[in-house]
Amino acid sequence: MEPSGMLAIGAGLAVGLAGIGTGIGQKDAAAAAIGAITEDKGMLGKSLMFVALPETIVIFGLVIAFLILFVM
Amino acid sequence: MLLPEPMSRIVIVGNKARLDEAIDALYELKLLHLIDHTVGADEGFSIGAPRPYSEKAAQRLLFLKAMEKELDINDETELREKTDVEEIRAKISANYVEAAGEEIFKVLDKRNDILQKITAENARKEELLKISNLPIDLQLYRGYDSLAVLTGTVAADPTDVAMSIADSELFISSDKRVIAFFVKKDEKENALRVLADYEFTEFSVPEGTGTPEENVKAVNERILSHMTERAEIEKELLALKEKHGDNILLMDEEITFEADKGGIPLRIAISDYSYVVDAWAPTDKVSYVIEDLNAKLGSSVYIELQEDRTRDLHEVELAEGRFKETPTHMKNGAYVKNYKYPVQLVDTPRYQEINPSILLSIFFPLFFGLMVGDVGYAIPFIILGAYGLKTAKSDDFRAIATILFFGGIWTFIFGFFLYGEMFGMHFVGEAVGAALTWQSLFGLSFPDWFAGIFPYSVDAAGYSHYGISKMLKVTMLLKLAVYIGVIHMLLGFIIGFINVKMQHGFKEAFMEKGSWIMVFIGLVCLAWGITEFIIFDNSVEGMLLFVMLTGAILMAAGSAVAIKKEGGIAILEIPSLFGGILSYTRITAICVGKAGMALAFNFISITMISGLIGGIAGIIIGILFFSFLHLVVWTLAILSAGLHSLRLHYVEMMSKFYVGGGKEYEPLEIKRRNTKIVETEV
Repeated sequence: MEPSGMLAIGAGLAVGLAGIGTGIGQKDAAAAAIGAITEDKGMLGKSLMFVALPETIVIFGLVIAFLILFVM
Repeated sequence: MLLPEPMSRIVIVGNKARLDEAIDALYELKLLHLIDHTVGADEGFSIGAPRPYSEKAAQRLLFLKAMEKELDINDETELREKTDVEEIRAKISANYVEAAGEEIFKVLDKRNDILQKITAENARKEELLKISNLPIDLQLYRGYDSLAVLTGTVAADPTDVAMSIADSELFISSDKRVIAFFVKKDEKENALRVLADYEFTEFSVPEGTGTPEENVKAVNERILSHMTERAEIEKELLALKEKHGDNILLMDEEITFEADKGGIPLRIAISDYSYVVDAWAPTDKVSYVIEDLNAKLGSSVYIELQEDRTRDLHEVELAEGRFKETPTHMKNGAYVKNYKYPVQLVDTPRYQEINPSILLSIFFPLFFGLMVGDVGYAIPFIILGAYGLKTAKSDDFRAIATILFFGGIWTFIFGFFLYGEMFGMHFVGEAVGAALTWQSLFGLSFPDWFAGIFPYSVDAAGYSHYGISKMLKVTMLLKLAVYIGVIHMLLGFIIGFINVKMQHGFKEAFMEKGSWIMVFIGLVCLAWGITEFIIFDNSVEGMLLFVMLTGAILMAAGSAVAIKKEGGIAILEIPSLFGGILSYTRITAICVGKAGMALAFNFISITMISGLIGGIAGIIIGILFFSFLHLVVWTLAILSAGLHSLRLHYVEMMSKFYVGGGKEYEPLEIKRRNTKIVETEV
């Protein structure tokens, strides 16, 4: 296979797998957050923070994908 | 502006006989945040009893709330004209509430009666419909000496087994689901046993005479007449709402104040002959408060300044329980105050810390603009935001409108001067592959000065680019995002340092936050050096060596202090700093993601649809697709750019300094919405 093809697969895996990880993380956080907000609306801000936390993982994946595609 | 307004604690002591006057004076000041008295805190004092008028007020309020609920009156409504409060007070003392209540509840009772009747008739109708398939008149179901009638539903046709019961007769509906079984009273148990196999469930037959159909018809007529009656009553209620609605709102407002005022003695200390009020007031208003109360209450009151509260947390530790917490009054300007909402989504700032609103007001729209960066999306943001700011009254909507408006302005600035694009297409330049430009699309020729506005570059294939291409300049945008992250996080640490210095002094601030500032700067220097060395193959000497060495020293020293302060666990925090900085690359990720979507949508609507269909029809369909698809990107832009910008503030920046958990400053005041005080000339 062409090296560029391997790079593209690598980039795809970096984003895709990181996305799955984020999804799993956010699933639990968001479910708990909705529960918390139902109890107390004031929890919205804090919940948002915790729900957004796992998103960093997919951003890392994306950065790696960019590095693979544009820098390597 | 950065810190909540300085507060002082005062104590007001006065003659109990003039308490009502004092309560009025406290409300008129609109400056005092009451400190609730703790029972047993002062010898000889306890909390007082509500004022005599408050019981009546509470009763009336209950009455008014019930009327509002029944007549569907929203107590938040703002009337067009404000009414003189004296007029309302006169009506209240003339027992308007009671009279209106009597009138309204009489009609409501009538409505309830009718509703009950309708429910009863519907229930009867349901019962009748069950037996409507059986050819038996209602009067034949009851009134026998020796016969029992079993009426109910069955799962299957029991005709065969019913024959086994002597001297019985079974009637079954055409759908074989409902039966009426006439048996001798002695055989009833037997019959029930037999029917049990057919899942027989008995129901009662309504009383009456004639066939079920005739009865259903009669019931329908009665329901109809009740409905007409109900409609009349609803009309009556509407008329009553029209007649009393405004007055109910006005009285609700006035009586709520009365009830609040009447409840004040429950929050202050009262002895046999005197009252003591502890309260917080803005420090620069204390002398005014003392003067004003002395003027209004004369010799019956004595006011003393207890303390000017500083930001030092040791002072808080020494204070008595009820005086520990100082209310936070965020003194924000007209612009910054709209960012109070996102801050309060997390928590109210404490009295002893910097209010993050101002930082949010600067960086939030900036990040938003950098992420979206497109003139085409900016204009609707600005229009929508401006409209919102002009019309919205609630704090939540004003916050959203502010974000849209100022975010829109930054989106425009970045979209024009940095990216040079509208709806994902650059203004100037040649079309490269799927990436169109406005110039190529309409065959325009822009003057040189216009093209000169945009950052200019030539790519490897020799094409000129006017404006930073989001898709091609990813590395540059990533670097930009990282630099922004470094500055943003460093600012967070510095504010944390200032906060701790205020609360505990310099030494503590250096140990707690200074150490992390050193680690952070060291990490950044080292990371920069390593990148230069590994990726760009620069040899480690001269400037690079100096920066890397400084970084290493700062990191080692900072870590040592942090470990001394927080223990070995501090080491685990260091990688998260790195993660924090990289987290800012989401700015680029969203920017590129949106550009990619816009590129694909432009290709679909312009090259594919408009190009393939051709002619006027092609153009019209193309424009329709173009509008719809870009609306999708635009909506996603609000969600993703807004949410991620907020997240960068909450998680990456505010976590470096913000604790929150403060109590908002709520001075005693009467906020009149629909009533006004008319000054009468003497």
